[in-house]
Amino acid sequence: MAFYVDITRCIGCRSCEVACERVHGGRGHVQVHFVEDSASVPLFCHHCEEASCAAACFSGALFKEDTRTAFDVEKCTGCGLCSLACPFGVVWTDKIAHKCDLCDGRPEPTCVATCPADALSTDLDHLSRRARSRGARAAAQGGRR
Amino acid sequence: MIRVDPRLCIGCLSCSNVCPSQNILRTETAEERRIRWKRCREECDLCVELCPTEALTLVPIDESAPEPEVSFPLAGCRICGRRYAPEPMLRRVEAALPKSQTSEWVWDCPACRRRAEAERTTAETVAARRRRRV
Amino acid sequence: MTKVLVPTICPYCGAGCGFFVAVERERAVGIEQMPYHPVGEGALCSKGNASLEILHHQERLTSPLKRKDDGWAKISWDEAVGLVARGIGEAMRDYGPEKIALLASSKCTNEENYLIQKLARLLGTPHIDNCARLCHAPSVVGLNRTLGAAGMTNPIPDIANSRCIFIIGSNLAENHPVVSRWIHRAKDAGAVVIVADPRATPTSWMADIFLQLSPGTDVALLKGIAHQIVKEGLIDRGYIAERTRGFEEFEGSVGEFTPEMAAEITGVPAEDIIRAARAYASSPASMILYSMGITQHTTGTDNVQAVSNLALITGHIGRAGTGVMPLRGQNNVQGACDMGALVEFYPGYRRADDPGTIDLFSTAWEAPALPTGPGLTATEMIGAAASGDIRAMYIVGEDPANSDPSSLSVKRALEGLDFLVVQDIFMTATALVADVVLPAAAWAEKEGSFTNTERRVQWSSKAVEPPGSALPDLEIICLVARSLGLDFDYPDAASVLAEINRTVPQYAGITRERLGKEGGLVWPCPSCDHPGTPILHSSGFRLADGRGSIVPVHYRPAAEGESLEYPFLLTTGRIALHHNAGSMTRRSPSLIGRAPDLFVEINPADAEKLGIDDGDLVAVSTERGETEAAARLTEGIKRGVVFMPFHFPGTNILTTEAADPEARIPEFKVSACRIARRD
Repeated sequence: MAFYVDITRCIGCRSCEVACERVHGGRGHVQVHFVEDSASVPLFCHHCEEASCAAACFSGALFKEDTRTAFDVEKCTGCGLCSLACPFGVVWTDKIAHKCDLCDGRPEPTCVATCPADALSTDLDHLSRRARSRGARAAAQGGRR
Repeated sequence: MIRVDPRLCIGCLSCSNVCPSQNILRTETAEERRIRWKRCREECDLCVELCPTEALTLVPIDESAPEPEVSFPLAGCRICGRRYAPEPMLRRVEAALPKSQTSEWVWDCPACRRRAEAERTTAETVAARRRRRV
Repeated sequence: MTKVLVPTICPYCGAGCGFFVAVERERAVGIEQMPYHPVGEGALCSKGNASLEILHHQERLTSPLKRKDDGWAKISWDEAVGLVARGIGEAMRDYGPEKIALLASSKCTNEENYLIQKLARLLGTPHIDNCARLCHAPSVVGLNRTLGAAGMTNPIPDIANSRCIFIIGSNLAENHPVVSRWIHRAKDAGAVVIVADPRATPTSWMADIFLQLSPGTDVALLKGIAHQIVKEGLIDRGYIAERTRGFEEFEGSVGEFTPEMAAEITGVPAEDIIRAARAYASSPASMILYSMGITQHTTGTDNVQAVSNLALITGHIGRAGTGVMPLRGQNNVQGACDMGALVEFYPGYRRADDPGTIDLFSTAWEAPALPTGPGLTATEMIGAAASGDIRAMYIVGEDPANSDPSSLSVKRALEGLDFLVVQDIFMTATALVADVVLPAAAWAEKEGSFTNTERRVQWSSKAVEPPGSALPDLEIICLVARSLGLDFDYPDAASVLAEINRTVPQYAGITRERLGKEGGLVWPCPSCDHPGTPILHSSGFRLADGRGSIVPVHYRPAAEGESLEYPFLLTTGRIALHHNAGSMTRRSPSLIGRAPDLFVEINPADAEKLGIDDGDLVAVSTERGETEAAARLTEGIKRGVVFMPFHFPGTNILTTEAADPEARIPEFKVSACRIARRD
């Protein structure tokens, strides 16, 4: 499982950041970036298929478990290799590593549930279906006016 | 006390993080990271066990030996120039990456990686919105 | 440990999202989503997510306070209420009841607002208002006149059914973030989105057509659009003939007002005005959403009427996906107005200058001599305090010393009162100049109903106890009223709601029992078996002949324009991470940590001429005063215009008191200013 963002929907409200921080004891795993005052995007763990953070982790704290990149805080020594191994810069280390746990134990990741603009999903098909139907309708109307 | 093999140590701070007695001191400036192992009398070898490079050994206390200390200059980010990590750590990461992946981005700091990712993912949207505004 | 989930309504904006407060050992420990909520579907913005941070906040007021020479003394409730009774009682005895004024709170419940206005009127003063005056007074005046009801005509989820959404003067993506999800849903189905704003914002990111007008030129833009619609015959003749009056005069008033003329005034290219006119008029269901960019002007009432004119001439009203949608700022600003906490209206929008109203409430409240309105508005009260025409004030949950324009003179006026009592959850700038401060409960520490911007009345339950000896506003108001000799015997919010059911026809069927169900009820709901009215005006208007009123409006420039001395136009607004005067969000660590400082947006070309770099500290000054802010350079704002958020005390030092002649709302959106780098 991973998150997908519909960039055209993101409004940069940073709700995902605040919500993530709220359910993770004050240390969040999402960072919203703004680009040229024209778009925003939340950056978070992709739960990469070939997770370089897990590859760099020597202690076994980070490991693949089905489709997610899981984290066992008990094994983490805070060495920081994972932070340096994340191509997207979304694993932080502060004595221990902080990364997305997909809100283990909750029905849905909090960032997804809380997104006011409905921009996040754990279901890529859902987002791409939505985008495709939007594109098809725009085309049927002779393009966007 | 702890003996350090400076050829193996990569400057990662695992030992300092796990030391229950706070006997492993770290100082970091914008330029370099320094780690000093205080003369430790504990029978504990947690740091030895949790060193990613097996650079540490528990040895009998020796009052005459100096406290071991290592320092690492921090490598500068290719993009912004900010110094962000000891070079041996980055080399270790590079070696650990799955062979299918490129690795030159390891030499970009995490903040610049995030910026690049943000720009990459929004490029199409930004361009479309700019077109609409002109 | 058992965790209890208590359903509450978010204390921030008027969207009225619901969530559960998780309570453990009598502390609020978490938030749980409410996926079935009709507006948010479980979503919350950053402020909603941070709302618990104010509940157990260390700066909460926990005891009544009285002013001493060298600070504040904690006192008992008995002493505090005695001081309030004496302060207000003496002013009434010495100068008459019309020399006191009360401000109700658009953050308090319907029941509390009902009691505050009742208290004011039973004491004999017509001066009872709330901060709707500062956000949507022109909607109340304008929409009551043109449509016969002052509220959003359609529910928020109905936005998804619209095929053309025209957003003017609203940065809803930041201020009502959950509304965005419904706009995107409409876009998925092919809707065209038009955004008119002096700034590019996350709201304009959604736009297919972006009209970047100069501040204060909304009437010109709307008239240019109306002209084109009439000229191209895109009006709905049948609707105009059957459902409206005033079209002929209106047609004459826009006859000369070509898109080219509008372009000249607004700075928006004429072809974009024409595109917007066609898109809005020709879609099968078009909706207009607006907010304070329309209302906070000396032409606020005209702006609102110009908006409703567009809906009436095209017949885009009274059906799914259409309508006129004023997005209200506070969680209960709609309810505070419904409850008659306004100088022009008794509860249920009964005109305060109508003898019939006075008779009706004299009977209902068994009070022989009720005051005739309109009294002094929220901002006029401050002027009257300065001149000595108001001697004592009771302010509940409002912070005029931060939220009113020209705030330095507001503070001086409040200091000059013989007696000021402020009731709030934090020591606000207004509380700091009070004689007595009464500690109140926050939203989750009490129960009652709130009415969101869709007119949806929802019950919010009590999750935790208030801190220290703080009390729910309802209890405090009853204590104060009884100490002034009034028979205020209301054991709980439900008993007040029962009286509201009897005296406010729109709320007649909105009983405590029915509010226990999910989703609340949308007024008008005239009886206990009535389902509520999500869409207004589907069968005519509550006006003479049941017809909507098309009212010609004439373009007038804003009160202040650029001058040699003050060459920039300052416009103000809100940002995603803060709310209004900021007494809550500036104390909320996860919000203030992300947006810690006051800033001013400047176009890079203007900044370059002034030698200002991004991040530089600059001084912004107007005739009223001067403020420091960090420069934020952005192409999103036009040359000659600057923007500041008003959540920080510095901003309203600058703004003008010039007000709409009818609705008396100050022109927060246009002040002439100058900017210089601080060296």
